[in-house]
Amino acid sequence: MDFTVLVVLVIALALFFDFTNGFHDTANAMATPIATGAIKPKTAVALAAVLNLVGAFLSTEVAKTISGGIINEGPGGVAISSTMILAGLMGAVLWNLLTWLLGLPSSSSHALFGGLIGAAIVGTWSFGAVNFAVVLSKVILPALLAPATAGLVAYLCTKMAYGITRRADPDSGDKLTQKRGGFRYGQVFSSSLVALAHGTNDAQKTMGVITLVLISSHLQEPGTGPHIWVITACALAIAAGTYAGGWRIIRTLGSGLTDVKPAQGFAAETSTAAAILASSHLGFALSTTHVASGSVIGSGLGRKGSTVRWGAFGKIALGWLFTLPAAAVVGGLAAWLCQLGTIGIVLVVVLGLGGIVAIFIMSQREVVDHSNAISDVDAVGSTMHIPSRKERERLAAKARAAARAAEKADRRAAEATAIRAQAQAALDQADTAVLKAMTRAAEKAAGAKAGKDKAPEKGPEKTPEKVAAEEEN
Amino acid sequence: MIDWLAFLTVLIVTLIGAGFVVLMYSLGVRLTAVSADPDVSVTRAAKWAAYACFIICAASVLFGIWLLIPHFH
Repeated sequence: MDFTVLVVLVIALALFFDFTNGFHDTANAMATPIATGAIKPKTAVALAAVLNLVGAFLSTEVAKTISGGIINEGPGGVAISSTMILAGLMGAVLWNLLTWLLGLPSSSSHALFGGLIGAAIVGTWSFGAVNFAVVLSKVILPALLAPATAGLVAYLCTKMAYGITRRADPDSGDKLTQKRGGFRYGQVFSSSLVALAHGTNDAQKTMGVITLVLISSHLQEPGTGPHIWVITACALAIAAGTYAGGWRIIRTLGSGLTDVKPAQGFAAETSTAAAILASSHLGFALSTTHVASGSVIGSGLGRKGSTVRWGAFGKIALGWLFTLPAAAVVGGLAAWLCQLGTIGIVLVVVLGLGGIVAIFIMSQREVVDHSNAISDVDAVGSTMHIPSRKERERLAAKARAAARAAEKADRRAAEATAIRAQAQAALDQADTAVLKAMTRAAEKAAGAKAGKDKAPEKGPEKTPEKVAAEEEN
Repeated sequence: MIDWLAFLTVLIVTLIGAGFVVLMYSLGVRLTAVSADPDVSVTRAAKWAAYACFIICAASVLFGIWLLIPHFH
């Protein structure tokens, strides 16, 4: 197969991996604010997408090696070829999609490592390609420590948040106003920080893969940073993935593990953000996914009256356990096929695409999206709602229509007042006329009586006619 | 094999960082609730104290952003 076609294939698959990475990890930042109703579902994924996009551009430092020492790369070790990377990426992508279908939050970097490990073992037919001590210290132990750390911190923070905001009347013991809904505003910021951290962290991984492929195929000078088009493509891919939103995973993290309330969600997100920031700056890498899941469980344990569904967590943990070996098996199979040459590579691509399409079709049997990901949102109202242009236009049109209606109503009211005034005037006139007529009639009657009862009925007969005539005016 | 010291550092820093922000925000929320009480003598002070707490939280978020962007350090 043509060398550059292979490179293009690897880049395309790497970008698709970036996409799955984005939509797998939307939940880490946005599941809890969606669950508490702090941000509306669609707004939340849009916010996360923008922050991922920005984050990808903010941090473009690329690792020197793809695997970070898990595979014995470099002089004396395995030379990771483009086909191996293709096979490894295929393993990672398929595992990411499968876990999405099952609604399991799983670490994308573990999937990538797994795929590469499988491809390297099969590519060299020796276990010497893999540094298992590093696998243990960088992958397996952190996978246990990350949720434990985040869970402990989130548990303590949740306890504290509820302890501080609990107010009761000292005399009667009645609960006073607590205003815990205020935590929703905080959630907007804490979850945004997690999303931004994700962008700065995870887009780099794909940039690194693409850059190393370009270097190894002599299309880029060794030691140079990623090209601007690589950065842009990766940023767009991860943002698009985030916006697509892995709603199945959002459902699991937002309502599957425990029911999240605002104060609890805030504590969980703050713990997640703190753990990610601390781990990435103090040299002990923790996976965002593991940290976020641990935080949710810890916060669930910390709130009185909430239940943690351990069955759901068991499934997730099982998923974590399988991530590396399963991706490794797929990566290994793909690498084995690739050894057949061009036909093998074509076969890998065709089978991979088939798998992706099959998973997508299976996902259509039960569609989970923004409308039904979390059914019982604690919806007292979202704290933040950015109206879209359509909504703004609709609102403006409504306002204009209302203004017009108000104007019309005003005019009509003025007209009505004028008519009423006229009617009142006419009525007054009529009253006066009646009075005059009656006075006249009385005078006439008196005159007639004085004049020996001459035609006494003439006056009174005339009066009603006169009144009717004048009233018509 | 595994750098336990680094892990312990991460654990403690996470605990202190998250704990501090949650403490401040919770105090802010509580003071906001106090400022809505009918007792007029404390409400104004509570309101300003709540604002101060929220400002500290905002500062922590800015610090987090500063940490995230390698350009700054």
